[in-house]
Amino acid sequence: MATFSAPVPLHIPLICALMPLFLLATADAQEALTPTYHSAASEVRLVLFVTDQNGHAVEDLQQDDFAVVDDERVIRNFRSFTRSTAMILDLVVLIDTSASVRSQFQREIADVMQLLSQWPWSPEGNVSVLSFGGLDVRILCSGDCRSSPATDRIASLQNGGSATPLFDAIEVAAGLLAQRKQPDVWPVILLFSDGEDTISLLSFDHALEQILASGAQVYAIDSNSRGTPWKGAASKGRATLQRIADDSGGRCVPLSEDAGTIFNDVIGDLHSARIVTYSEPKSGSNYHSVRILPTHNLNLQFRSRRGYYRRPGCAQ
Amino acid sequence: MKRAVSMILLLAGSPVLLPAQIGIYQHGTVVRMRVGDCTLIQQRLLTAFGGPATQTGQESCPEYTLLSKEVVFVIVGKSSNQLIPLAETIDFRLRKNELEVRINDARRETRFAIKEMIVRAEWDRLQRHIEEQMKASENHEAARDPNHF
Repeated sequence: MATFSAPVPLHIPLICALMPLFLLATADAQEALTPTYHSAASEVRLVLFVTDQNGHAVEDLQQDDFAVVDDERVIRNFRSFTRSTAMILDLVVLIDTSASVRSQFQREIADVMQLLSQWPWSPEGNVSVLSFGGLDVRILCSGDCRSSPATDRIASLQNGGSATPLFDAIEVAAGLLAQRKQPDVWPVILLFSDGEDTISLLSFDHALEQILASGAQVYAIDSNSRGTPWKGAASKGRATLQRIADDSGGRCVPLSEDAGTIFNDVIGDLHSARIVTYSEPKSGSNYHSVRILPTHNLNLQFRSRRGYYRRPGCAQ
Repeated sequence: MKRAVSMILLLAGSPVLLPAQIGIYQHGTVVRMRVGDCTLIQQRLLTAFGGPATQTGQESCPEYTLLSKEVVFVIVGKSSNQLIPLAETIDFRLRKNELEVRINDARRETRFAIKEMIVRAEWDRLQRHIEEQMKASENHEAARDPNHF
């Protein structure tokens, strides 16, 4: 391969001078050699959010306003580009009941109850509530969380247990969502926690892998004490939540905001999302990193999950 | 005849006919982007100015593969936030051993270090080879997987 190390100013004229002659001779041959593939490519589905330089959602985003960098390849040709309102939500709420969130526990429960009563569910949507603390990860309800028995179970949750199996709980939630995965269903995890894990069998990296494999976006509600700045374990927990939210394309918000503000933010976020699909580019790896960048306006900020694991037939 | 050929080569090699040398924009498409470390850029600065390299710590720099009609450039930004708009076609020019990309919306240019220059035909040939190898690998895996049909 003719490769040169820059700076190489003397080579540039030579290349430019000889290239037209070379190209004329090889143009036809190039076209004839262009490979054609007939295999059925897997489809990648990305949920994305876009804001302007002031952090405001951009309403009139067009599909030629951005490109996806998938495993280093720049993708501009998309199969579809739609708003998220066309999607059915599959939501898993994770409640941390461990002792480390004692001061915020009642607030967590109140927020979840408010969420269940006020969230504008679509009839086809699904919601599950799980709790984790001590050594347990419990499924409190799945699909029927607005029923009386379910809300009673949630309201009667007790705070306790010195250990926090956060990563194990994330794996259970991601597993539930992965089982119910459908092309038009959008998996979301709403995680109430301080981000501290003390006893999980799984590592942080494994939990993150499970989230990416499920395609879920995580909205982490940070229940660290209201006082800022975060210090010590609280700072580490905050960083954990932030990383989970960022890598999955979600957000991390403090519990210090009132419940109405949090849910309005989250619901507004979900409603402003776009869904883009494209053919999965060929890669030697099962994991594809993903980044979305503007094609013209560099002030646009895009948010989406930072990667996915390919599966035969359907990339994510 | 010999004189005519000499004249063609002379003119073809003349800076007057080389857009890159006189600052006329060329067009290209970014087909790949990755984020790598900034070591290359730091070394270049050290070599060029003889001073200490900028302390960037773990900073990563964007690296782009830019296809023009004749040459493929691998260019590297000087900081993590030096981004190129990924439009179908971008305008660029070569100046002082660097590549300047025109940022339309911002009405400015941004300069990138050139890491590699590859003849386009060679690059195309290499890509085809990689694709063929990946396809062969996929076919091999499919043949081993009894559930694949």
